[in-house]
Amino acid sequence: MTFWQDPQFGARMITLMAALVLVLQITMVAQRWLVTNIRAFAIQSFLLACIASTIAYYNAATHIYIAATLTLLFKAVLLPVILQRLVSRIEIRQEIEPFVNVPLSVIISGLLTLLAYVVAEPLQAQTSLPGAAGLGRNTLPVAIALFLIGFFMMISRRKAVTQVLALLSLENGLFLAAISLTYGMPLIVELGIFFDVLVAVMILAILVYRIRETFDSMDVSRLSRLKG
Amino acid sequence: MTIPLLLLIPLAASGITALARGRRALELIHILSALAGFTASLLLAAGVLANGQTSWGNGFLFADHLSALVVLLTAFVYLACAPYAIGYFRTDRINQAFGPDEDGSVQLAKIRKYYVLTPLFAFSMFLVALSNNLGVMWVALEGTTLTSIFLVTFYGRPTSLEAAWKYAMIGGAGLSMALFGTILTYYAAGQVLGTESLSALNWSVLAGSASKFDHTVMRLAFILILLGYGTKAGLAPMHTWKPDAYSEAPAPVAALMAAAVLNCALYGVARFYVLTVRCLGPSFASQLLILFGILSIAIAVPFILVQRSYRRLLAYSSIDHGGIMVLGLGFGGALGPLGMLLHMTFHSVTKPLLFFCAGNAQQQTGNDSLRRTPGGLLHSLPVSGPVFLLATLAVTGTPPFSLFQSEFTILRAGIAAQHVGLSILFVTLLVAIFAGFFYHIAQLVLGPPSDYPQGETCRWKTYPVIGLCALVLLLGFWLPAPLYSLISGAAGVLAVHP
Repeated sequence: MTFWQDPQFGARMITLMAALVLVLQITMVAQRWLVTNIRAFAIQSFLLACIASTIAYYNAATHIYIAATLTLLFKAVLLPVILQRLVSRIEIRQEIEPFVNVPLSVIISGLLTLLAYVVAEPLQAQTSLPGAAGLGRNTLPVAIALFLIGFFMMISRRKAVTQVLALLSLENGLFLAAISLTYGMPLIVELGIFFDVLVAVMILAILVYRIRETFDSMDVSRLSRLKG
Repeated sequence: MTIPLLLLIPLAASGITALARGRRALELIHILSALAGFTASLLLAAGVLANGQTSWGNGFLFADHLSALVVLLTAFVYLACAPYAIGYFRTDRINQAFGPDEDGSVQLAKIRKYYVLTPLFAFSMFLVALSNNLGVMWVALEGTTLTSIFLVTFYGRPTSLEAAWKYAMIGGAGLSMALFGTILTYYAAGQVLGTESLSALNWSVLAGSASKFDHTVMRLAFILILLGYGTKAGLAPMHTWKPDAYSEAPAPVAALMAAAVLNCALYGVARFYVLTVRCLGPSFASQLLILFGILSIAIAVPFILVQRSYRRLLAYSSIDHGGIMVLGLGFGGALGPLGMLLHMTFHSVTKPLLFFCAGNAQQQTGNDSLRRTPGGLLHSLPVSGPVFLLATLAVTGTPPFSLFQSEFTILRAGIAAQHVGLSILFVTLLVAIFAGFFYHIAQLVLGPPSDYPQGETCRWKTYPVIGLCALVLLLGFWLPAPLYSLISGAAGVLAVHP
């Protein structure tokens, strides 16, 4: 048995990649350039695909390979390309201008990560399976952290494109949760979710474009005429 | 065979309208598809009443009394909106709502969008009610958002973009919570059933073994589902997208969203409610449902009392009714689910009528303001004006209209469950809503003649109003026996068996 066939090695690799995913999420909160943000999202999705295929390899599970391939194609390549083209086409200022300043945002993200570990504790307690079947269970707190930080990004960002990115990274958290808890949803559900995400991003891209045309800005805090 | 047929009809209608040429062809196909859809839903309901639950494709799609009822109501609202939409968009052309349009090509492009997207919207709603797999149900509910975003931006005003953005973002965030809840349910089920097969997410399988699920996981899952699908149903405090989307969308779209999507979202909550109750016992889920129900009714009160626009007024009424249904489910017992489903049925008939009257009034007067109105709509709209007032009485639950019966049933369920204080609060809030709602609409409808254009503009807009009004009056006195047995069968699905 070579060293990479040992589930122990797989577990370490998964932990490493999950840590990187979390670091990338906090990078997205911390840095100010929109294009970097999109690239961080692309790398994050790439790492998720790697985690999924690692789990698929050790469990010899075909449907996780399919989910991993789809993640790679859509979230790591196609969606970032769509978003980059959108950003360059509408020539917006490249800075993000959050409502909450960067140091405070990072501190809040840290607290949310802590909260995620607390929430995941009771769920993880029952899942100490040995060997390959227990792979990836320790990524659940990371998944919940991605979910919570994604929510925080949604409410703390002004620009429409960054809200879309936040929604997508939140969705990445859900993908990781599904992989770590149940080794992915059934294939048909997974396909449906991918289809929905793809269509949603296209619709949102069109909306962003039209908001930019109409308001001459992408600042969603200007969308405030409907009240009461 | 009716189950796949129900899904194929709207899909086919959407495909054909994408290719059809003239305006009349679009309208004809739409009406025919709505008729076919309603007939199929009647057949499904009859089949379920005769033979119990049916399934198709190895249990992938399935229908019991509850699904059949929701499908029937969705198909009914879709059918009611079909002729109304024809008149509504024809009037838009006359009013030049789409800007200068000499040969009608602008209008054709606009209404093609409506006639292509609305059947897809209906398709997603049918799929919500018919899918056995809870993951597919989530995909379909997300589909209802995606297919309706461009219907909200229909008029392309800055405010419609704002409404659509809020709708997409709040809806997207909410549904992601529901997906998390679904994943957790799958996890809880996987510990008992194994996750190897697709059926581990099938409701009919889960319902049988829910008592063995892990309690912590199910508790978290239900909270996330209630927040998620509650956002879609517009329960407070996740309701903020609703007034914007309902006031910006064309009236037939708003009617579909208020009467049909609401049912589908609550259907999602109800399915998970059954699983949670079987796992944890009734008290946990009931307390949460009662909390969100009362909160939604209470939050509607101040906004209805000081409202400036009648389209938004209807949206707050819809939040209120969503709250009433959830409250009914939360009270539980034998009467609670029955009250909820009766309310759902009566609401699905009455709400479209209100939206049609409001749409007619808006097209006649050119605005939907309650402040700048000189009143006297009664004189310029001899049919829709008085019916608007009547529908207001019906929707606020005044006797003898049917919504009074269902609200009374929910009240009895509350008292039977010994929530006396809450029941009194419930009635007080309903009275406040009645007062505000009736005051506003009476100001609008009654009064001396004003200088608005006289007469109904298009008979396609008047006939649906007359038809629905007759039905609302009829339902106040007579509930057909097969419909009642369908409703009570559906309530049986939701009833708690300790």
